[in-house]
Amino acid sequence: MERKAAASAESLRGSNAGRAIEFLSHLRWPLSRKGSLLAVAIAALIGILGFTAVHETTTTSRGSAVASRPAVAPPKPAFTRAEEAYIQALWPIHGEVERNAVRLSLGRIFYKVDDIGKAELKTRVEAELAAFRHAEERIQALQPPPSLAGPHGEYLGAVRLFQQSAIETLKMFEDGDDGHLLAAYPASREGSDKVREVGVKFWEDEFPPH
Amino acid sequence: MKSKLTHLLRAVAIAAIAGALPNGSALAADDLSQNSLNSLLPPQTLPQGFESTGQLLRDQQEATNAPLYSAWLVESSRFINVAPGSFMPDRAFIPGSTDPKHNIVFFDFPANVGIIKAKNGKITLYDSGWKQLEYIFDWNTSCCWWDLREQMKNIGLNPDDVIRIVIGHGHWDHAGQLDSFPNAVLYVQQEELKQIDFFTNYPVEFNQGHIRAVNTVDPLTGAQVGPPQQACARTPVCGYPPQTVAEIEGKVLAGKAQIINGRHRIAPGLIVHPAFRGHTYGSQLLQVNTERGQLVFGSDTYSSWEGIRDWNVANIQQTDTIQQFLAYEKCYVLTSNSDSFNNCLAAHERLSYSDDYPITKNWWTITDGNCSRAAELTLANGEKTHVPADVTTGTTRITVPALGGAFGPWRIDPVVCKDTISMVPPHTVMP
Repeated sequence: MERKAAASAESLRGSNAGRAIEFLSHLRWPLSRKGSLLAVAIAALIGILGFTAVHETTTTSRGSAVASRPAVAPPKPAFTRAEEAYIQALWPIHGEVERNAVRLSLGRIFYKVDDIGKAELKTRVEAELAAFRHAEERIQALQPPPSLAGPHGEYLGAVRLFQQSAIETLKMFEDGDDGHLLAAYPASREGSDKVREVGVKFWEDEFPPH
Repeated sequence: MKSKLTHLLRAVAIAAIAGALPNGSALAADDLSQNSLNSLLPPQTLPQGFESTGQLLRDQQEATNAPLYSAWLVESSRFINVAPGSFMPDRAFIPGSTDPKHNIVFFDFPANVGIIKAKNGKITLYDSGWKQLEYIFDWNTSCCWWDLREQMKNIGLNPDDVIRIVIGHGHWDHAGQLDSFPNAVLYVQQEELKQIDFFTNYPVEFNQGHIRAVNTVDPLTGAQVGPPQQACARTPVCGYPPQTVAEIEGKVLAGKAQIINGRHRIAPGLIVHPAFRGHTYGSQLLQVNTERGQLVFGSDTYSSWEGIRDWNVANIQQTDTIQQFLAYEKCYVLTSNSDSFNNCLAAHERLSYSDDYPITKNWWTITDGNCSRAAELTLANGEKTHVPADVTTGTTRITVPALGGAFGPWRIDPVVCKDTISMVPPHTVMP
């Protein structure tokens, strides 16, 4: 939560809101003390109502029940700047990895149920293998802070599992044995678990209630 | 008379020529027949997704001669403190309102799983609950998750008897735990899988990524945000983590999946009805023949039973409002000779496990189930009740010893249970 607040404050600088505050500071205050108090009270009321309305329509609440529950995870410490930078850099890679992992699974499903042929599956898997290799290169180029070395390694491992699964799948086009589909599955299955575990650590709200 | 006829023929000929001339696109015979066929269907509805009232009534009538089934509902997990407006727009909280539709600040609602037992003891599941324990650990806006196999054992049903799983759709909170039932055949609509594939590959040039699946959050803050920042989170195309799709793949590769198109009778008295775009593109309902008439399980197409009763959109994330209403109507038709909408089973009805949702009023807290609940919907074939004999006066152990071994009444207040007893289950998230 703190890191989110910090990010919001930072985003004000140079924004329209920031410029508006600067402009207002040059104005002469036109109201008496009583009037000022009334204005502050009205502004506070509008603020509360506005917050309630926005909160109601755009978010789910997080935490009021947490305080009263007997055993919940302790509040997570805010990410450091270095951690935040790493996580932010991993985000677009994570998106590509997830999409290609899903497409790898779906391609094999569609082939298995005769919805696509061998040629189309081969094209898909080759594209996904290339995407996973590209993702590995991009992840290796990242410099994780020491605190995130573990998740970094886990994520890299997951991407390699997806590659391993894609390579195993492609063997069926060399020897014609569809058994490679089954052999390829455990690696991608494990990779799917791992990216979910790392993903939820960094982007806890990635999959909202559906 | 003759001249009148001549005038008429001339007028028809002129009208026909005038209609054909402006763009020179007179319909060929083949086009005409295809267009005539399409004109019989609602626009943008695939032929296999629409079922006429007549077809549904036939299914209703035929089912009355089919075998009967017993049925239960169990709570896989519970979303807590959800703003009503973010779930049901017609129920948004209005500060100061005394209208019961607008005076609730937060909803708690379950993720329900249907358990349907045949005369031979074999079980069909409708949905398979949550799997992602990490989600519970990190969000903390959910409670009461417990393993579905353990829940079944603890209400007196054998999970090894599960031979089929019909998923209402493939989202993570409804199609988890497929791996836990290795012998069960999965039933999923082809449209569902096609939808995921289509949106994972959707171009982003003109939509800033708001349409393409899978990721849904602001990369800077990590927060889930609504439109316009990231619209995908508010649509049904973003609820498919690789983990969930991989479990579906596991079923297909093991030869334990039926990829179906539209209506499908999976057994006498058990009929799948398409509800395409009622929630996701490949959503499906399950009609079950029981002593209390036809039951219709609807997953997120029927997110809220109150929504069906009041004709409100039950989930803001549905793909197509009118398709959701057509799916509501399917339930009204199929249950028209019994208890009407009271026989529609919703996945996320907040009133579940209470007298206010009458079909679930026969409920209890599952032993060692971490505050999750079960309801007996109907019995058949001499099946004895699974409701504890002392349900109104007795107590049970609510959490396993490893989580404290707390005891409480069978019908413990769900809020009290949530706030004072439920625990975060063991999970595998990394340190």
